[in-house]
Amino acid sequence: MKNLRWILPCLALVLLAPGCILTSGQILINFDLPDVSATSSTGLIGDQVDLSTNADYKKHKDKLKDIADFAVLGTFHNTGVTDINVEVWMTRDLTVLTTAATVQSSGIKLWGPLHVPAGGSVAIDWDGSAKLFTAAGKTALLEEAKGDGGFTLYALSSGTTYQFNVQDGLLALVIDAGI
Amino acid sequence: MRRAVLAVMALALTAGIAQAAPIGIGVGAYGGVSFPILQDDVSQGPVYGLRVPLKVIPMITVEPYYLTSHLGHGEQTIGGVKYTRDGFDHTGYGVNALLGTALGLGFGLHPYAGIGSHKLVRDGTPEIKETAYNFGLGMGINAMPKISLQLRGELNMVVTGDTSRKFANATVGLTYSL
Repeated sequence: MKNLRWILPCLALVLLAPGCILTSGQILINFDLPDVSATSSTGLIGDQVDLSTNADYKKHKDKLKDIADFAVLGTFHNTGVTDINVEVWMTRDLTVLTTAATVQSSGIKLWGPLHVPAGGSVAIDWDGSAKLFTAAGKTALLEEAKGDGGFTLYALSSGTTYQFNVQDGLLALVIDAGI
Repeated sequence: MRRAVLAVMALALTAGIAQAAPIGIGVGAYGGVSFPILQDDVSQGPVYGLRVPLKVIPMITVEPYYLTSHLGHGEQTIGGVKYTRDGFDHTGYGVNALLGTALGLGFGLHPYAGIGSHKLVRDGTPEIKETAYNFGLGMGINAMPKISLQLRGELNMVVTGDTSRKFANATVGLTYSL
């Protein structure tokens, strides 16, 4: 039992030295997105997101370390006559951009592409959506989550003519955070 | 004559050391349940593994191990819609140091700690391959020669930067002393 006098302090050092590795968890934060309707590459409507309005985010923001997993969820309806590949882009500020060209030049591709056939609908699930996030998007999202939590999302497609809408949209973030 | 005495003394000394700290080795297999701790995107799943306890010095057993676990889907209901996320395939190897022995006859409790290299894999998440720490308490019941029943509860902590993914593993296994 004398060994315990050494073992217990050593265990405590191992557990406490790296910061909050013991007192941390992976916590889901979900943020509702309004329905989006896109009618062309020059008629985009952005969705301004303010994470600070989310109680779970506010609770954990100070101890947020990383984003462990994330997904854009919802049902994508292609109401046009050609197949589309939907992408979600973000700008790091609250912006009001209307064209795909300006969004792509000043923003970061966050997610996609999601193929939706003409006249069809795709309800993207968590597993399918998690695979569509870009590395650059994750970095940007993490920085925004650690920052002011305000950014703007834009849904667009390749080409200039398309017509789709997104219903029951949801941004799901699993954050690595201290508790 | 002197050589004979020294040889007898050496033999007696060696036998004494061997009796006080017999070197032992065993092999064991175990299975149980792995419960994620504070993880919203994964749920419990089965865990299996192998251990090779080596008693090399008194009161300490060094035990290399291999672990594999298939964690269950994470399930979350948001806005009345149930979403699921694939669980991780968790594999790892390392070594634990047990206070006491998992070998020999009788009944014993042995706290232990260890370190390993663990990997968490699932589609859509970058592979996590990091150092893991183990802390646990085992109970050995040797109902028959050479075979012991091992019951263990442990905290397995895979460090991911400033945070970690933690699992509470409850296992039962059999160890055979060679």
